[in-house]
Amino acid sequence: MMLLKMKIPALLRLVLTLVGFWGAFRIVFDVILGELIPASLLTMYMFFVAAGVFMVFTFTEKGTRELLAPIKALVEDPTKKMLRNIVFVIVPLALGAVIWQVSMPSFEAPVELRSIHPAPPSSVKVFGKRFDLRTLKNPYRVLEKEDPEQFSELVAEGAKVYIANCQYCHGDKLDGAGPYAQGLNPTPINFQDIGTIAQLQESFLFWRIATGGPGLPSEAAPWLSSMPVWQNFLTEEEIWQVILFLYDYTGHRPRSFESGESGESGEGH
Amino acid sequence: MFAARTLFAFSCLVLLALIMLPSGAQAQSADADNGEVVYFERCVGCHGDEGDGLGPAAERLNPPPRDFTLGQYKFKTTGFDDIVPNDVDLIRMIRDGMPGTAMPGWSDVLSDQEILDLVAYIKIFAALDEETPSDQVDYGSQIATSPESIAKGRELFLQDDRCAECHGQEGRGDAIKKLKDDNGERTWPRNLTKPWTFRASNAPKDIFSRISVGIPGTQMPSFADPVSKKKLTIEERWHVANYVASLAETKKVVAPEKTVIKALKVSDALPTSPEDALWQTAESATFFLVPQIIAEQRFFMPSNDTVTVRALFDDETLALLVEWDDRTKSIPGDAKAESIANAEMSEDAIAVQFPVTIPSGMEKPYFLMGDAANPVNLWHWSSGSTEAPETVSLMDASGAETLAAREAAPAGMAGEGVYRDGTWRVVLRRALTTGDAENDTQFAEGTLIPVSIFAWDGSNSEVGSKHTLTTWYWLRLGAPGGGSSYIAAIIVALSVGALELWWLYSVRRRRVAGQT
Ligand code: HEC
Ligand code: HEC
Ligand code: HEC
Repeated sequence: MMLLKMKIPALLRLVLTLVGFWGAFRIVFDVILGELIPASLLTMYMFFVAAGVFMVFTFTEKGTRELLAPIKALVEDPTKKMLRNIVFVIVPLALGAVIWQVSMPSFEAPVELRSIHPAPPSSVKVFGKRFDLRTLKNPYRVLEKEDPEQFSELVAEGAKVYIANCQYCHGDKLDGAGPYAQGLNPTPINFQDIGTIAQLQESFLFWRIATGGPGLPSEAAPWLSSMPVWQNFLTEEEIWQVILFLYDYTGHRPRSFESGESGESGEGH
Repeated sequence: MFAARTLFAFSCLVLLALIMLPSGAQAQSADADNGEVVYFERCVGCHGDEGDGLGPAAERLNPPPRDFTLGQYKFKTTGFDDIVPNDVDLIRMIRDGMPGTAMPGWSDVLSDQEILDLVAYIKIFAALDEETPSDQVDYGSQIATSPESIAKGRELFLQDDRCAECHGQEGRGDAIKKLKDDNGERTWPRNLTKPWTFRASNAPKDIFSRISVGIPGTQMPSFADPVSKKKLTIEERWHVANYVASLAETKKVVAPEKTVIKALKVSDALPTSPEDALWQTAESATFFLVPQIIAEQRFFMPSNDTVTVRALFDDETLALLVEWDDRTKSIPGDAKAESIANAEMSEDAIAVQFPVTIPSGMEKPYFLMGDAANPVNLWHWSSGSTEAPETVSLMDASGAETLAAREAAPAGMAGEGVYRDGTWRVVLRRALTTGDAENDTQFAEGTLIPVSIFAWDGSNSEVGSKHTLTTWYWLRLGAPGGGSSYIAAIIVALSVGALELWWLYSVRRRRVAGQT
């Protein structure tokens, strides 16, 4: 009860609130979610929060006066002369140091944000034909119900295509950790992750596999992707088979047109 | 009385638990039928329906997937003349995987029980399931590592070329003879300075096992075999193991966060020789080399795995030191080099790729030698043959198929390479700026410049599109802390100080005004 009655000075309250927000941000985004967003973005969020908090504190004239009271006292109260002198020396030095830090040329590489699942084109020309990606379906998918035996043979064919061509990068566990994955940037997609093929239609995969990295639109940084252009190495049938295998091995289901969802999610992880 | 009884009951419980534990572990028996199910789900792709290692990727992997029908296991701890492995040896390889090969560790997707079942199943391919090992590696008592032990080990390593014959004087696997395994497949002796490529680990005990047993199916022999002319006693094997463990070159470990080559400005003369001591002042960056399995004429079986780069510059010139372990010095025409090489030998080569125009935004040239809109320069060096000396050339490309070489000297470019004990060190230098911004990359201090590297091991049939490469990294010229940054800092500090004084002054004036 005593504590509640004791009034915390407004300036201290402001500082405590900001520290509280910052701590919560760090705990949620860095510790719990494992450095989900880059530090620069976190700084930007914090800036908005600080601006908001400041506005709340200075909403009324009384509030503003209360907030500024200790600062005003520091400058105007002759008994605080010693403290004032100290503060007045430290503040410019600290600001100078911050400027020096910030303007120092850094050796850090820039963060390159690329869209991982960009919107696909409406149609694509591969194998000398034009495919309409809005309606394109895996011709073998119907066999899953109609002829399970033939279907599993096709899956096995897809497995062979995968081991011979894809595992070097995407890994033989389909976890994106093939023997050469570490040397590639961006890293090969982890098909086990529910954020990848589980969110996509088979037509999207067909487009991506047939046209590879160079087939990406510019927001997905096609110049970086080491994903090969598979229409140069595989047949149309082999691509559909390897797609069957990707879903079969991971246990994911492709998105279908019927569910009304499309794979056109443009989020960057 | 009560306390004594509780103590008694407690001791009984502990005893019971102790008795139960080992028998509990034994009760965990292996189920080969379940092993078969898991095998066909997870392993068949590489090791094949029949366990013969002839999966669809067999011809693209070196080492190839193991043929289980031979019953020959490489990394085992049973006696050298006993073909039967211990279950724990197989469990370990399956659980942890075999670094440097396509064989991954399975502990993240398979339970201990499943791995046990698999071991029971794969042993059936060679009828090893009925067998028990008759003989184990005798470790005697381990000799702890010490400078003396390491020195003794080095002596034994080099003595009569015991290990150096295959692993090279400094252990980098720069063999003096061509090695093939029992199936005629090319094998490369391990580079002992890169322990992260060991299938087992470089703990002295693992190395001791390898020296004692050898690596069955390959030319790596047993040094415990009494008929071997180069055999080693238990004590000697511990010294060699301690020596091999000491060879790790941690500088060559790839640090994933290190994506920028920091070029250091020097006031002394820029080094022209790869062996100049000045290079040691520059920080090194090491990158993975990935085989070119992306575009036509793919290449699947690389021998080079990493490349290390350092950079120095002065007012006029940029100099790069590119360093990579290569087991073979490939000089076409040299009889000894040709006896080690795969069928046709080409020159060893390296190329450093830069965009012709340093991008201001995100967009870079396609990492595989550029594209029509974004051409690249390649600083190319090749090792030369008995007929011609090493060559340095400048290459232009806007896509791999357009690659064309021109003379390096007009652009102020030169280079020099030295091969020693399994390592190439090549210096490449070029003027920071040339008069031709249309065709040559122009280097400026302070900007981030995309850079990547291509490498060819001529003895490993690497030529043309068959090579290894890195993805784009960065090069930056200039040390941090330029003059302008502290001038800005001083200006800010001074103006804030002035504002404070003005504030104080106005307060005082107001007070004086109030008093009068
Ligand atoms: C040289 C390495 C490499 C090989 C070999 C490779 N990929 Fe890729 N793949 C990548 C990389 C890197 C990405 C991520 C960048 C991108 O989206 O292009 C990727 C992305 C993909 C995607 C997009 C997934 C998504 O969530 O958007 C699919 C599908 C795919 N690969 C399938 C395959 C198949 C099938 C094969 C074999 C026929 C294969 N890849 C072989 C490197 C490779
Ligand atoms: C991507 C291909 C690939 C897959 C999938 C694979 N392996 Fe291997 N495995 C290899 C290769 C390659 C080697 C040979 C490594 C060497 O010779 O150094 C090997 C070697 C082995 C060895 C021999 C170890 C020794 O000491 O000689 C065992 C045992 C083994 N694999 C078990 C398995 C089991 C069990 C699975 C399934 C869970 C499996 N492998 C899946 C590629 C694979
Ligand atoms: C006749 C050639 C030859 C000689 C002599 C030889 N090795 Fe090897 N060694 C090899 C080959 C080949 C390999 C790689 C085998 C494989 O994995 O396919 C190897 C692999 C190794 C490994 C790697 C083990 C692992 O876990 O990956 C070590 C350690 C090693 N050798 C140590 C030695 C030592 C120490 C000596 C001398 C006492 C020696 N070798 C002598 C050919 C040789």
